[in-house]
Amino acid sequence: MNRDDVRVCVLTLEGTNCEDETVHAFASLGANPEKVHLNQLVRDPPGRHRALEDYQALVLPGGFSSGDYVRAGAIWASRLRSGLRRDLRAFVEEGKPVVGICNGFQALVELGFLPGLGGETDVPQASLATNDSAHYECRPSLLRYENRGRCGPLALLPRDGILQAPSAHTEGKFTVPQGEEEAVWGALLEADQLLFRYVDPEGTYAGYPWNPNGSLYNIAGVCNPEGNVLGLMPHPERSLSRYLHPDWTRSGEEGYGDGRLFFDSILTYVTEAF
Amino acid sequence: MGELIRRVKVPFPLYRIDLLEAGDDELARISKDLGLALSPAEMRRVQAYFRKRGRPPTDAELQSLGQAWSEHCCYKSSRSFLREFLFGIEAPSVLLRGDAGVMEFDEDHAYALRIESHNHPSAVEPYGGAATGIGGILRDVLCMGAKPIALVDPLHFGPLDLPDDALPPGVKHPRYLFGGVVAGIRDYGNRVGVPTVAGSIFFDKGYTGNIIVNVGCVGIARKDRILRNAVAGPGDVFILAGGKTGRDGIHGVTFASLELSDEMWEEWQAGAVQLGDPIMKEPLIHACLEAVDRGLLSGMKDLGGGGLSCVVGEMAFAGGYGAEVHLEKVPLKEPNVAPWEIWVSESQERMMLAVPEAKVDEVLAIFALWDVPATPIGRVLAEKAVRVLYQGEEVLDMDLAFYTEGPEYERPYEDPGARPPSPERPPEEPSDYAAALLSLLSSPNVASKEHVIRQYDHEVMANTVIKPLQGVLGRQSHGDAAVLKPLPDSWRGLAVATASTPQYTRIDPYRGGAAAVDNVCRNLAAVGARPHALSDCLNFGNPEKPDRLGFFREAVRGIGVVAETLGLPLPSGNVSFYNETPLSPVPPTPVVLGTGIVQDVRRCVTSDLKRAGASLYLLGETKAELGGSEYYRVHGGEGGAVPDTDPNLLSRCVDGLLEASRAGLIAACHDASHGGMGVTVAEMCLGGDIGAEVEWSPDGLRPDLALFSESNTRWVLEARGEPSALEGALEGLPLRRLGRVGGSEMRVRIGSRAFALGIEAMRNAWSGGMTRLMAG
Repeated sequence: MNRDDVRVCVLTLEGTNCEDETVHAFASLGANPEKVHLNQLVRDPPGRHRALEDYQALVLPGGFSSGDYVRAGAIWASRLRSGLRRDLRAFVEEGKPVVGICNGFQALVELGFLPGLGGETDVPQASLATNDSAHYECRPSLLRYENRGRCGPLALLPRDGILQAPSAHTEGKFTVPQGEEEAVWGALLEADQLLFRYVDPEGTYAGYPWNPNGSLYNIAGVCNPEGNVLGLMPHPERSLSRYLHPDWTRSGEEGYGDGRLFFDSILTYVTEAF
Repeated sequence: MGELIRRVKVPFPLYRIDLLEAGDDELARISKDLGLALSPAEMRRVQAYFRKRGRPPTDAELQSLGQAWSEHCCYKSSRSFLREFLFGIEAPSVLLRGDAGVMEFDEDHAYALRIESHNHPSAVEPYGGAATGIGGILRDVLCMGAKPIALVDPLHFGPLDLPDDALPPGVKHPRYLFGGVVAGIRDYGNRVGVPTVAGSIFFDKGYTGNIIVNVGCVGIARKDRILRNAVAGPGDVFILAGGKTGRDGIHGVTFASLELSDEMWEEWQAGAVQLGDPIMKEPLIHACLEAVDRGLLSGMKDLGGGGLSCVVGEMAFAGGYGAEVHLEKVPLKEPNVAPWEIWVSESQERMMLAVPEAKVDEVLAIFALWDVPATPIGRVLAEKAVRVLYQGEEVLDMDLAFYTEGPEYERPYEDPGARPPSPERPPEEPSDYAAALLSLLSSPNVASKEHVIRQYDHEVMANTVIKPLQGVLGRQSHGDAAVLKPLPDSWRGLAVATASTPQYTRIDPYRGGAAAVDNVCRNLAAVGARPHALSDCLNFGNPEKPDRLGFFREAVRGIGVVAETLGLPLPSGNVSFYNETPLSPVPPTPVVLGTGIVQDVRRCVTSDLKRAGASLYLLGETKAELGGSEYYRVHGGEGGAVPDTDPNLLSRCVDGLLEASRAGLIAACHDASHGGMGVTVAEMCLGGDIGAEVEWSPDGLRPDLALFSESNTRWVLEARGEPSALEGALEGLPLRRLGRVGGSEMRVRIGSRAFALGIEAMRNAWSGGMTRLMAG
């Protein structure tokens, strides 16, 4: 299909707050994104009802959905589970991309869609726990793309290439149950579900602040075993333009920012697959 | 007293207060017992009005007047000075003055700006107080029809290392207040999804008993969607949108219009601080903006101080009509709230919309989609009166002009110029200049604020093209102003910066006020923005004390003189009086939020040094102006001249800088402020992670005084390309070559003195200066 026919559903509810820039990212690449409130999918507001099946990609943007007062993403996940689970499952089974950024990633983990080792689960297999610093961290992050090809929507990203995108979260520490760290790590590698890992400017897997939250194995993003559900903590929509990079006045580089390829790749995948 | 208050026979609490024949003592008791904070003269004016009406007032009527006539709501002590020095500064780019000022951004767009204080609530309950301060300023911008796009937070606390035994009774430790305020801003600001891009943190013993927490906001709007804070005419329906109403925040404004005392702390702690809910505010903003975008509203105003009692009266008054409200329709948090409590409650996250009758259903459908309560509670009357009913019973009926137009005073003031200046005693010249500079870098007023800045989301909305921390990744230093690129299809930018100058204002209020404007203009020009508008937040002591009011007047005059010369309007602002405790008044604290226009954000300049070998310059004149300086504070100097401002020189320098930055001739630029040029060059080295060689003649000044002087209107520049091009662009301005970028040390030769400091030594001092004191 043509790029301008690609309908992207950017899901909102109270407290999501990165939807406008996420919509802008897809729109600037020629797609047809739409900000859709969860109530438009699960209720029938006069003249504003939407059906998930009419979209080719779903994005859960960043923010503090419902305040994140229980656990980051938990309330959002619970509302998706109660109102939209069947539609969501059908969407995923069709191979359409589902992308969670920051709070959206947290929600997909809470929902059991990620990492989804061995398939979708009823109980979260991992958690995005409170940062080691115990507070919010807004800082530049460098992400090495380590997927070997499983993740179709990000196929345009060069393997081992570095993508700069800021982190901005309180709960981003990728954690699994104690004692299962190595097993999960091995399973992620084996099924090629690893997407991004935090590195320092020299490209090494460094500690704080380059790993802003203390994530296990510096994990910043993963996908499901099929590769079409993916999530990451940092915000590629915040490095869409070169002028959003924190050091553009030094580098002298102009034009596109690192984050653009992330969205470009998703759209390319959709236009080729559907 | 009991005999004067009579319960009305209705099935809910309603009282009449029989003050028609009351004497002065009884009037004073009524004011105190009902928490009205009205003066004897004001109470007599109330009495005269109700005598004319031939009936005693209800509790709701008296409470309304207590709110409407409070210093907080009607600026009764400050208005005459603001009119004299600030209100007259006009500029064609001012589009509207309301809860926020609205300025032209480009042909089709406008931006709104406002800064205000949240001092007393934050002193009592730092986390909630600071959070609701953000909530309030967001609503001020939103109600102009603008989408909030940036927040700023200038903060002032007592010293973090204040010994516990130096803490006055009942006062909370500065560390606790600092931690609470920062966490409140973080948790509320980050959740509502508006970036916090600028601000300042200043520590001084004078703030121990009464912290100063200011919060500013800017928003962007389509010009054809700007709203007045007014009704359009009879037929408009009042829709109350957002959070439910409860007993929280009752008497917030009267609380803000008194000095903090032990008794008040206890009395008001329970009720006077409101509770914030960012997850009500966030969808409330979306829903309001959707209604604005579809052109469904006649007017909008936020519920802040005084709650419904102020918003209804002021919207009706501004439109030239009246209002009728049915209080039983207001959604409540709890049962059995008395009508007067509903009427004056300051519960958060509420907006009042004036909506033409034909659009009401469409507006309600928008709020329903966002799960935000919205309820029609009244309508506009042709007649200029406010009538409030509860279950059919009239609880308030007053003429609008009497009710809304508060008193205005010309209180006596004492000209501070009449005081003898204190003699100047500089500290001894240091034997080790390197150590002297390190001690300044580690002073909490200079040291890195990264620990705080990185807890605020300064990038949400993906508009922040110049961020608060600038330089090599992982090695960043402070910038002067943040720049937003608010429109996707335009390179035009909006720069935002703040300044606050208590250290100068306490010595010389005129120069202090002037310096605040100079400082904010320096910050804006440094990044390549033309200063465009100001919003002021004036935090002073009790205006009923002539010496405090004299300082206030002079500071306002200083702001006015510089702003007028530069043609900078102040389309909004805020005055916070009564910042005192039984111990002392706070240092008089003028805070200025400045906005600037950047023609093309791709030409913006940051503070970090860029390239080895490039030439360094100082623009501006250095004088023996160390009164109030950080150098004197840290090294024990006394007295001295406070930095003066030459507004004409400032104006010429700003023009020159902007021409040079647009031509791409400036690689780095940083203004000289706390700690003078010594600190400025050091911060530029830290951000660039590279050294510099500076050689400089102190022109007859003692070398340390020249290095650390805080003279205004100064910047350090790194040239890009041929230095002669920059020299040409700035010809006619006081420009001198300082040296060049390079090496791994900052090497300084000033007159006969020389020293060198490694980058890492400077970084250690600077990075840990504030955080070291936070552990206690």
